[in-house]
Amino acid sequence: MASPVAQFELKSYGPQIEVGGVDLSFTNSAAMMVVAIVGIVAFLTVSMSGRKLVPGRWQLMAELSYEFVANMVKENVGSEGRKYFPFIFSLFMFILFSNLFGMVPIPEIHYTPTSQIIVTFAMAFVVFIGVTLIALARHGLKFFTFFFPSGAPVYMAPLLIPIEVISYFVRPVSLSVRLFANMMAGHTMLKVFGGFVVALGVFGVAPLALIVALTAFEILVAVLQAYVFTILTCLYLHDAIHLH
Amino acid sequence: MCGPALSGLNENTGTELDSGMKRLLRFSAVLGGTGAFALIAKGAMAASESGGGGTLPQLDVGTFPTQIFWLFVTFIVLYIAMSKVAIPRIEYVLEERHSRIAEDLDKAGKLKADAEEVQANYEKALADARGSAQKLIGKTKDEAAGKNAKAEAEADAVAAKQVKEAEARIDEARTEALANVKDVVSEVAGDAVAKLIGVKVTKTDLKKAVALAMETK
Repeated sequence: MASPVAQFELKSYGPQIEVGGVDLSFTNSAAMMVVAIVGIVAFLTVSMSGRKLVPGRWQLMAELSYEFVANMVKENVGSEGRKYFPFIFSLFMFILFSNLFGMVPIPEIHYTPTSQIIVTFAMAFVVFIGVTLIALARHGLKFFTFFFPSGAPVYMAPLLIPIEVISYFVRPVSLSVRLFANMMAGHTMLKVFGGFVVALGVFGVAPLALIVALTAFEILVAVLQAYVFTILTCLYLHDAIHLH
Repeated sequence: MCGPALSGLNENTGTELDSGMKRLLRFSAVLGGTGAFALIAKGAMAASESGGGGTLPQLDVGTFPTQIFWLFVTFIVLYIAMSKVAIPRIEYVLEERHSRIAEDLDKAGKLKADAEEVQANYEKALADARGSAQKLIGKTKDEAAGKNAKAEAEADAVAAKQVKEAEARIDEARTEALANVKDVVSEVAGDAVAKLIGVKVTKTDLKKAVALAMETK
């Protein structure tokens, strides 16, 4: 039986692309990212092509996903968050579709990009850097008051400031690990129970039933983690714009 | 808080397993239910790894550049597609629907105001008509009453006049009758006197006596 984590190994396709000694080959992870963005663009453009006044089912889904993220941004960031909306919307859709397409056993390229720590960390890091730059641009040096909660007694500073600084710098790590760990755990678990189905023969029906339930649960996790990643991004952006 | 957890992921000795579980629990703090499943998964993963001796493919640093590269390529393409095509398209439709609804509501409000105005006009006309009808009725009633009173007065006057005439006639007749009665009485009295005592009494004396007798009565 193959290791349950073997599914996270990358396979490269096509020619070996090397830039300055760094391997940039097209892999199954990249293929699934392409599938995800093609899926998103197709979903949002084809469904909206009718531009009907009274939406059909597909158009309604596209509009609902737009309004879902728009409301999230409006409620958690405020009106200043408007110009960051395209980024947050893209982020949400990208994670959502990567997670969901990861649940589909597409032959050969089947993969979940968000089960890779480097992918989630890269996204979280971009959010972290972006949010920090926005905060610095808006508040200048006043940004550093963020690390000392106003109203706290001064003698608490030696304790509070390190805590605040650490919790700030840990943000990209917690943000990325949360998504990565959820995705990896889910897929590993499905693989383990899949192995049981084969190993137990006729009695494999029991783990099979469990897999069905777990698959539904993993779809929930896929949506929920996309939501969590996005809403935390919104909250960080709110902190950057309003400083607490 | 999750910082050291990252480095702990590739350690899968028995003693590390426990703390690894705790960490995974913490990873899934957002998703209460996932905790238990994550634990199972982590346990299964660790068990198989200790058997196969492999490490997590996710921690193979050699695969990082290609993943970051393709992530950025695809994400930038997605971002452009979203901000230039998909979002404006959705916003256009939502905006159009919004303005259409607002417009319709506006129109409905205007029509309602119109209808209310028409109703007010109708009611005013109705009240006016009712008022003028009432006035006309009153006027007619007054006129009729006036006419009645006049006719009644006239009739009364005529009746009174007739009554007066009749009374006058009755008076005349009575005085005439009375005068006749005096003549008759004096004649009868003269005759009676002549028969009884054989004295001829003059007419004037008789009349005097009768008048006297009638007065004393």
